[in-house]
Amino acid sequence: MTDVRAPETDPFDPAAEPDAPPRPGAASPAGGGFGLADWLKWAWRQLTSMRIALVLLFLLALGSVPGSMLPQANNPSAVQQYFASHPALAPWLNHLGLFNVFAAPWFAAIYLLLFASLVGCVVPRTFRLAGSARTLPPRAPRHLARLPRSAEYATPLPPAEAVEVAAGVLAGHGFRLRRADSASPEPADAGTWVSAEKGYLREAGNLLFHLALLGVLVSVALGGLFGYKADRLLVQGTTFADTASALDEFHPGRLVTAADLGPFTITLNRFDASYIASGPQRGQPSAFDAQVSYTEQPGGPARTGHLAVNRPLSIDGAKVYLIGHGYAPQFTVTDARGQVVYNAPTPFIAGPSGNLLSEGVVKVPDAQPEQLGFTGVFVPTAVDVGGTLESVFPAADNPVVSLIAYAGNLGMDNGVPQSVYQLDTGGMRRLTATPQILQPGQSLKLPGGRGTITFTGYVPWVSLAITHDPGQLPALICGIAALGGLLLSFMIRRRRVFVRARADKNGTTVQVGGLARTDASGGFEAEFASLAAELRTACQQGRHPQPEGE
Amino acid sequence: MPSPVLKALSSRVPLARALSSRALSSRAGRRTVILAAAVLTAALLAVALVATFAGGGSSGVTYLDRNDTAVLYASGHRPLAPEFSSTTLAGAPMRLSSYRGKVVVLNFWGSWCDPCRAEAPALAAVARHYQPAGVSFLGVDERDSQASAEAFIRNFGVTYPSVSDPSQVIALDFSAVVPLAGTPTTLVIDPSGRIAGAVFQSATYSELTAILTKVTGKGG
Repeated sequence: MTDVRAPETDPFDPAAEPDAPPRPGAASPAGGGFGLADWLKWAWRQLTSMRIALVLLFLLALGSVPGSMLPQANNPSAVQQYFASHPALAPWLNHLGLFNVFAAPWFAAIYLLLFASLVGCVVPRTFRLAGSARTLPPRAPRHLARLPRSAEYATPLPPAEAVEVAAGVLAGHGFRLRRADSASPEPADAGTWVSAEKGYLREAGNLLFHLALLGVLVSVALGGLFGYKADRLLVQGTTFADTASALDEFHPGRLVTAADLGPFTITLNRFDASYIASGPQRGQPSAFDAQVSYTEQPGGPARTGHLAVNRPLSIDGAKVYLIGHGYAPQFTVTDARGQVVYNAPTPFIAGPSGNLLSEGVVKVPDAQPEQLGFTGVFVPTAVDVGGTLESVFPAADNPVVSLIAYAGNLGMDNGVPQSVYQLDTGGMRRLTATPQILQPGQSLKLPGGRGTITFTGYVPWVSLAITHDPGQLPALICGIAALGGLLLSFMIRRRRVFVRARADKNGTTVQVGGLARTDASGGFEAEFASLAAELRTACQQGRHPQPEGE
Repeated sequence: MPSPVLKALSSRVPLARALSSRALSSRAGRRTVILAAAVLTAALLAVALVATFAGGGSSGVTYLDRNDTAVLYASGHRPLAPEFSSTTLAGAPMRLSSYRGKVVVLNFWGSWCDPCRAEAPALAAVARHYQPAGVSFLGVDERDSQASAEAFIRNFGVTYPSVSDPSQVIALDFSAVVPLAGTPTTLVIDPSGRIAGAVFQSATYSELTAILTKVTGKGG
């Protein structure tokens, strides 16, 4: 793929060979006697053609779109929300792997095909470009006046000397030269000549672009093999250790095991969120600040740090990002026997209605005589709008919870893991007909003497993403190199200047012809005119400048 | 691999021909290039496949079930259990090394963890059976609250102590020596403080007695 320009038809230039040349008969499967080997060759040629590579690149881009439009597996609560709000559509999307796009088999297929296509294209092209960058300019054509740019002047110098003077000037301008040789003698009236070519950096840039593109793919693969992604919800005042059992989600790369996790611990000391209090953007967050202390190893020295959105913390080769936050209302539950069976902050997840109106469940599996369960809504700034509670501001200015109590079988004791954010009410009875509203400090007495639940307060929680991507830096370097190569190949033109001197009755006539491989970037006209003028002056002065290197 | 251009140059083919695109697309040159690219791609794919599917095969480990989750480590292959000191749910200080000289069953659990609740009756039964024979049992309560943990212990009639590990640093230390990926995990530690057996999921009565029979040398 990827000559950065459209194929050019320069008959002299080997690098301009068009991609996947259509070869009637041999390359078309329609022809007779087309065996398995021919089919394979045909398939390989198709795969490595620029057209297919572009299609694959486009598919890759298209395939990533759902990855940014739909909630992904690295944010399970968002996926759950999506399932709840699109019960019909979500299972279908799940079948197609659209909630974990970058791990879906079809995405891997596109990626691998693109990789094969690029390798199959870039490797031969690399040799071709390398070869092209080493070639000498072609021989000077006989009739230079036919070239796009040409000039002619007379000089008293003999032809050989006039050509030498021109060669000196051109070498001084950094042209690569080729002089007439004896290998293919020309007719006497053709005179003598020199060919000059400049702009080989264009090929180098093209080469750099292609290699860097491969480098980007390899870097991404490196990240996929040796990197990992993990998520953890952390309530203010608690600590977690970076080990597989402490992570809510852990997506290791192919060659990563849980033992490769950095053994750090992070404590969330305090989390503050500020919101815009007035104006049209009221309720939008203006700043987040998570104060954490961390140790690189358990028992190691504790350091403190701050986490904010897009300001990750680097610990032991991993980056820790702040990706979400919410409220964890604290509940105390006593059962029918008067024993405290639950006393903990319980993370609630913000729902779609905004202003951090959050939903969650409280499961009390060890309450006696029956298990208890509660579904709840936490409203940070509650306002009663026509009988329903709404949150009008994300800060906890008037926090209330609304609870529905259940008793029965939570379904936890059969060993099948269930979500801590969902209550399976299949084996339960509802104890309260209507949602019960509680303010901090208030209790709800459960009917039938089954106990009480007290809303004792709330603390914030943050959601952390822990990522390690060893391919990140190489990908950045390769990306910059690809861009540099692309710029080089766009901005530098291959251009050729031919000089031919013939003796005639008045002395010597010198013809100068010029040819730029691409006119798109312009400027060659002026360059050629000034070169031609300089050549003429040099010849007239009989000057023979020292070449400043080729 | 020499490029066709260089080959052509060295064989003194007229330059003009060598430089024309036709010479480059000659069958031989094209075939070599295609072959090289195909070999390179195949090699890359092979490396990726080997990297994906190669694994395991360490000696000294016997699997007791089809899922490879209940294992026995042969003596000489037993990882040393990391020392920890913590506080029990009842508030007493506790060190793992205080159990040196005894077989210890170390169970990582949480009251919120559904498979832990499922295995709790079997574990309690094994404890009742083996504690009189001198086997010690110790729980490590992961990411839990005191009230919930105590309610769990009351509810399932757990007769042995548990240390509290809310931040899971004990699990972190153990994950460095065994593939501890979460709760429940049950480790059997021999009298020299080395891990002799493990169940990396909800343990059954028969799995636990099979491991304990081997480690204690006594019938279950």
